[in-house]
Amino acid sequence: MTRGTLIYIGQRLLLITLTALIVSSIVFIGVHQLPGNAFLSERSPNPLAEQQLVHHYGLDRPWPVQYVSWLTGVLHGDLGESLVNRGVKITPLVLREARVSATLGFWAMVFTITLGMSLGILAAVKQNTLLDYVASFCAVIGYSMPSFVTATFLVLLTVTGFFAWSGGLVYENIGWGKPEQIPVPAISLGLLPSAIIFRLTRASMLEVIRQDYVRTAWAKGLRSRIVIIRHALRNALIPVITILGPITTGVITGSIVIEYIFGIPGLGKEFINSIANRDYNVVIGVFTFYAILVGIANLLVDLVYPILDPRIRSDGHLTQLFRARCHFRRHRHLRSR
Amino acid sequence: MWQDAWRRLRRNRLALVGMAIVTILILTAIISAFWTPYPVWIQSLGPTYQGPTAKHLFGLDDSGRDILSRLMGGAQVSMIVGVGTATLSSIIGIVLGLLAGFYRGWVDAVVSLLINIFYGLPDLLIVLLIVAVTQQRGLQNIILAISLTAWLGMARLVRGQTLSLREREFVEAARSVGTRDVHLLIRHIFPNALGPIIVQATFVIPAAILFEAFLSYLGFGVKPPTPSWGAMASEGYRSLQFAPHIILIPAAALCLTLMAFNFMGDGLRDALDPRMRR
Amino acid sequence: MVHKGETVGIVGESGCGKSVTALSVLRLIPDPGKIVGGHIFFKDREVTRMSAEELREFRGNDVAMIFQDPMTSLNPVLRIGFQIKEAMVAHERFDNNAAEERVVPMLKKVRIPAPKDRAKNYPHQFSGGMRQRAMIAMGLSNEPGLLIADEPTTALDVTVQAQIIELLRDLNREMGTAVVLITHNLAVVASLCTRVIVMYAGRIVEQGPTRQIFYNPQHPYTWSLLQSIPRIDSTQHDKLLTISGLPPDLSNPPPGCLFHPRCRFRVDRCSKQEPPLEEVGPGQDARCWVLMKNALAGAESTS
Repeated sequence: MTRGTLIYIGQRLLLITLTALIVSSIVFIGVHQLPGNAFLSERSPNPLAEQQLVHHYGLDRPWPVQYVSWLTGVLHGDLGESLVNRGVKITPLVLREARVSATLGFWAMVFTITLGMSLGILAAVKQNTLLDYVASFCAVIGYSMPSFVTATFLVLLTVTGFFAWSGGLVYENIGWGKPEQIPVPAISLGLLPSAIIFRLTRASMLEVIRQDYVRTAWAKGLRSRIVIIRHALRNALIPVITILGPITTGVITGSIVIEYIFGIPGLGKEFINSIANRDYNVVIGVFTFYAILVGIANLLVDLVYPILDPRIRSDGHLTQLFRARCHFRRHRHLRSR
Repeated sequence: MWQDAWRRLRRNRLALVGMAIVTILILTAIISAFWTPYPVWIQSLGPTYQGPTAKHLFGLDDSGRDILSRLMGGAQVSMIVGVGTATLSSIIGIVLGLLAGFYRGWVDAVVSLLINIFYGLPDLLIVLLIVAVTQQRGLQNIILAISLTAWLGMARLVRGQTLSLREREFVEAARSVGTRDVHLLIRHIFPNALGPIIVQATFVIPAAILFEAFLSYLGFGVKPPTPSWGAMASEGYRSLQFAPHIILIPAAALCLTLMAFNFMGDGLRDALDPRMRR
Repeated sequence: MVHKGETVGIVGESGCGKSVTALSVLRLIPDPGKIVGGHIFFKDREVTRMSAEELREFRGNDVAMIFQDPMTSLNPVLRIGFQIKEAMVAHERFDNNAAEERVVPMLKKVRIPAPKDRAKNYPHQFSGGMRQRAMIAMGLSNEPGLLIADEPTTALDVTVQAQIIELLRDLNREMGTAVVLITHNLAVVASLCTRVIVMYAGRIVEQGPTRQIFYNPQHPYTWSLLQSIPRIDSTQHDKLLTISGLPPDLSNPPPGCLFHPRCRFRVDRCSKQEPPLEEVGPGQDARCWVLMKNALAGAESTS
């Protein structure tokens, strides 16, 4: 780890924190501009009790004061207290549910990357064969299917089809905690991103295979496997890794709906519930967490990128990588070549 | 260059299929503003959960409403949201992108800052927040909310294009004749960036439709009884096992629409990009 | 045909088929092209009939090839030393450690300064000339009988060009590796090759020892090429000779000799029948009905 890299990491961490703070501040301030009573649901009809509640949460203070106190809290890792469920501290809640969402997200990503990349490589190596056409077509269908549609389809398949066929062993619709409850939500979440990864991997491989250095590799008399993996793939995967940042974001977005459908007690479901209940403290807390998460994911991608591509390893990472990432993000809607 | 592009587009069969479907969609949307087989909000037209029959081609939903009519109404909602968002976000994005790329300075600093901060943040979360917090459920609010996140993509694209185009000789040539900046931007720079802009805008439409579907699936979309495919899917989920048509039909419509726009967008991108070769 | 330890140059315009010929030797023609007929022999083995495994052993080992643009021809994500070592390990003549030890001496042989450090560099850290040297090192690492160099100097500037050519010449002498140099630059051929093959529109139109070809070209094309080189001692009024017209479209070739539409010495027969490649001097062959010695003699007798 050179000094340059450490400085770079420091810069990015700062940017992430700043972003998370700015964004959640905007949310905080925006929410606080709403009429005061929006904060508490129509529960305590007793004005005195309401007064007490308002005071307890410090909502009677001018909002800049509230903001500062909230900010200080956040910087210490304290995201505050739930408005709806009194006494429930938000930070531990968020962390607990984040574990659930992370498990779901992890398996979804495993599915996405495995399916997308392997098919992408195969389709590129066997370009214009039946495999290629079928896979490409499926991919377009794949990324036109919103996650809830995929979920519905899978549920239909497993509950009516598999379920009956396997004697009720395969899948139980609602809930979380058992390993066999993971595949269906994970696949529903991961299908659309896998189509994106497929297209990108395929296009990237196709481009790389035509390059001169691959021809040199053949001319050297290297084995097929070495040429494809060490020479073609190493280079082709660079843009694919770069896109994992936005893909993670997409998975986070999709998890909201998936957790809702399958009743998974994760962060997404919490987000929706707290919005519905107007528990704005929790909303802000969850959102802040997401902002930090996304920042870290993008940071990781940016750190991995110079490892893969030695041309980028120098000082002045920041602007270069922003530019590189911007360039690759645009390739999300991918060339079908 | 446009005739070339048109020719290339015509050869792309998938894109043509996509465009055909889109046309059908637009027509349905327009028609449904004036007429649907049955009014979309009338309930108990027959036994609830009834499957497709001669009278009701797509059957009835859980409240006895005609699904076909609601499907058409949903087409209208989707198209309005899609096209509306694309238009609004494009206008904002193009204007800000041109200004930022051309003038640099503080305009660029602000725009770039916004883009870099909100880059990578889950758009849906932001849209959800806006819609839920402002508690207005009309179409306009939804379009506004989605556009607020969508303009960033267009702005970044246009900014990049402007940055490179302003260095080109024809800009200098025009300047040396005394052309005013505004004129330069509108008549010289903008038309040259038009290709990628069109492609980007075309891809915003399915994204917006998707967002709207998510929103209504979660219950934050347009207020019932206005039909929306997402809401229809959500309602239909409960009866998945015994009346699958309620959810499958709007889901299929949604997928088909998204596919059509994606094909069309792909075709446009390939047609307008002179460097592509098969 | 290339003899052991010989240096042969293949000259011709862009698109005349010289690169394709070279690529065919290693069967590197990209789809949808393929070899439809004819033979390629290497030391009594028929290359066109080799199995995939035999071909793999053959490439980089018996015959090595280096390409025109060294920046794009080297894998940007792998270290130079590794890429050279890879070439050796692939053919199982050396194991990993032995190959590793040969890398630095190879780099030294191609005159790359500070070879030990340079072996750990990536291609983008090298200059153009150095990259080409690295490619040569990679090609020669298995001590092949033949090195094919496809326009190795075209992407480099003139001073570096001279260095690379000199390097090739010295390596040819030292290692006895035969070299086939493909280029459109006659000067380069003159300084390196003992034999020259001139190609036009996919055919060999003349071949022979360099001196003879240069001083006594028999094919009008060769002659015109040589004439069109601007001379430093020409006066202001000497016109610069060019060859009018364009190379033929090979999907619709002209009848007879492929060069005849652009030839200023053509006769009737040229547009009807394609001449065969025949010996016109000691070791020199040309594909022409007229031949320069006759054309010039005729011109003299008429003027």
